[in-house]
Amino acid sequence: MTTTLEFEPTAYHINRSSEGPVLEIKDFNLWYGQKQALFDNNLEIQKGMVTALIGPSGCGKSTLLRCLNRMNDLVDDLRIDGRILADGFDIYGPGVDVIALRKRMGMVFQKPNPFAMSIYDNISYPLRVDGVTRKSILDETVERALRSAALWDEAKDRLSDTALGLSGGQQQRLCIARAVASDPEVLLMDEPCSALDPIATAKIESLIADLRGQYSIVIVTHSMSQAARVSDNTAFMYLGRIIEYGATETIFTRPVKSRTNDYVTGRFG
Amino acid sequence: MSTSSEHDIPASGGAGLAGVAARESVAGGRRVRRFSADISAVGEPGLWALGGALALGIILIAGFLGVVAWNGVTTFWPKPIERVELRDGDVLAGVARRSGTYRVGQDVLLRLDDAQRAEIEANLGFADRTLYQTANYDLYGDDFRWVSDFEVANVTQPADFHYFERQTWGVFIGRVAGLTIDGTERAFDPALMQREQAAARQRFNEIRRLEQRDIGRINHQIERERLAQRRATLRQGEEAAAPAVAESQARIADLQAEFQVLQARVNEIRERDRRYRVQLEEVGGRTIDTELSQIVRYFAANQLSLFEKIRIYFSRWWEFVSAEPREANTQGGVLPAIFGTVAMTMLMVIFVAPFGVITALYLREYAKQGRLTSIVRISVNNLAGVPSIVYGVFGLGFFAYTMGGTIDQLFYPEALPNPTFGKGGILWASLTLALLTVPVVIVASEEALAAVPRSMREGSLACGASKWQTIRYVVLPKALPGIMTGMILAMARGAGEVAPLMLVGVVKLAPALPIDGFFPFIHLDRSFMHLGFHIFDVGFQSRNSEAGKPMVFVTTLLLLALIVAMNATAIIIRNRLKRRYATGQF
Repeated sequence: MTTTLEFEPTAYHINRSSEGPVLEIKDFNLWYGQKQALFDNNLEIQKGMVTALIGPSGCGKSTLLRCLNRMNDLVDDLRIDGRILADGFDIYGPGVDVIALRKRMGMVFQKPNPFAMSIYDNISYPLRVDGVTRKSILDETVERALRSAALWDEAKDRLSDTALGLSGGQQQRLCIARAVASDPEVLLMDEPCSALDPIATAKIESLIADLRGQYSIVIVTHSMSQAARVSDNTAFMYLGRIIEYGATETIFTRPVKSRTNDYVTGRFG
Repeated sequence: MSTSSEHDIPASGGAGLAGVAARESVAGGRRVRRFSADISAVGEPGLWALGGALALGIILIAGFLGVVAWNGVTTFWPKPIERVELRDGDVLAGVARRSGTYRVGQDVLLRLDDAQRAEIEANLGFADRTLYQTANYDLYGDDFRWVSDFEVANVTQPADFHYFERQTWGVFIGRVAGLTIDGTERAFDPALMQREQAAARQRFNEIRRLEQRDIGRINHQIERERLAQRRATLRQGEEAAAPAVAESQARIADLQAEFQVLQARVNEIRERDRRYRVQLEEVGGRTIDTELSQIVRYFAANQLSLFEKIRIYFSRWWEFVSAEPREANTQGGVLPAIFGTVAMTMLMVIFVAPFGVITALYLREYAKQGRLTSIVRISVNNLAGVPSIVYGVFGLGFFAYTMGGTIDQLFYPEALPNPTFGKGGILWASLTLALLTVPVVIVASEEALAAVPRSMREGSLACGASKWQTIRYVVLPKALPGIMTGMILAMARGAGEVAPLMLVGVVKLAPALPIDGFFPFIHLDRSFMHLGFHIFDVGFQSRNSEAGKPMVFVTTLLLLALIVAMNATAIIIRNRLKRRYATGQF
């Protein structure tokens, strides 16, 4: 396998949303200590659409996703360069309220991570840390979030039970409900199905389809078939670079770059 | 990298297949190969070593607990009194405590007749002997006596011998020679004696109540008035304070009048009490004459039915856990020590819990992980290796003398030169122990915090929670059972610690409990008693360590039971928390 990197520019051929981009990543570089993990990333996340990030392990797709809500701030020794614009504001600019930013970006993680609280408390958590105490508002939010995560029918009779008693798939839907409870603009999903069985995966995928249009979704996935099923646009990343970013059907059928073709056809990765 | 792994996979796969084939062919034929694995590969000897180590540990612990439990449980069981006639004509009466073998000295051998000497020589110069509790310290000057078997001529268990537990002078073993009821001499009558002894004990308790509660209250008030006078004089100057002092002086006069009344009552009861007496005769015929009220408990040891023995057994246990000590702590109860141990441990937990948890939180969650935090962490871990007596010295020097001395000068100048906080006390003792146990709490809390999965923190942060909210609502609840484990370890360590306490507030006999009915009710400056120190004091510091020996076991048993009870409570709380925050499966 060749490891030389040809510095070709990213190939663009995306589906554009009528409302334009919600996030714009511009010339974004990132270093972990001395090691550079992202190289000159440029990406526009289209509003109301599902954007999938695919690529082999260690290509930087999770790193890029975690930059979108500044989750990477927790990592010591991290350095970035470039801009990420949300509605025209640079989220890495001076004076940005990270907490407010994260409220606009719901996030779902690889492994379901419900808190050791009741289902109700889990979902109302984003509101409660925001200082909301009115019971009527909390009740309403919990029901809305659970309904949009397709968990309401299963959970409505056990809202005060611990969330840890739910099955893995239910827990992940609970995490999605929690992520949408604060009514964010963008939903970031970091391999949301990698710890789930096929049936739970199918449920999450249909849920993503339901949420499409309501939220702008960025999903990192290992499974190319999942990306093909759920996304409108797909970005293929390799070794920290975005090789190709385009409409999903094009990426999977007639990719512009040979490396993308190699990856989606399973020749490497 | 991927090229090399592509090479590896078929290569190792081929070797594996070849191995299987070879094994089958060998089984069929020419070369004999062992199919059992090498012993070092199976690790059987290692397993034996592990099991042996476990067994050894269990045997040691079970043996220790067994000795403590057996001696502790049997101590209070009433045992028969034996009357022993010796060959030289001497007679003694006592309770056989234990026996053993010893080498008979030359001077003793010379005094024995030939038959006895031959017997001892046949036994390689050794002989058996028994330790008798002869009691009657006031007559004999000793409580115990070794009696060699070859000295004994005859042993009987006379029915009229009684075992008297007295308020002072310890046990008396002997017969009742006579009674004096209200000044008139009467013959010994068990029913009469029982009735009168109970009445006498009531008088005794009444005197004690009057002296401790009522007179104690008056003394306390007089002392307060006196201190108030001094405070007023110190603050306002002699002249300005004069009216207040005069007023206070009048109040003291009133109190003293009240005191006189009470004292007169006490004297009256005491006078009456002196008219009820009992004459006790020891085995040799000497008698003593004592007030009936001096006798706490008595029984005819050789005539007891099983039921009476059980009653005495439990009555002794009840006295042990509910009464104050007497006879230099070798008899009576340990209630003040139980109270002191529990109160000090609780105070220690109150100090150590927030301090340890906050330290661990900062160290784990906020401090930048680097060389400095590593050094701090290593230092904290190593603090656990500092000898506990060093903590005691530090506690005395820093807490008691420096901090306490300053508090005295600022807030209690009227009592000086008598220190209030400037000496050992329960507050300083619990602070010292908190310092001693804080490394345990810090280490355990840090471990517990580190064990909270990163995904949970990230989930909370992604919800828009601040770092503090994440810690407060997600991390701390999840880490709480682990932190509780640290608290339990600290509690067990602290409750059993004695050495530092001897410097910072534990005393042999505390005049008053740290909590009583006088304002402000909790007296953190007071010295206190502690079960651990009680064990040391009774076993090694009393005038007669033989007399204290049974109490050592009983007190150890009680201390262990107390620590187990406190820990069990903590464990139940922890398990409840654990269940609440149980990790889900998926």
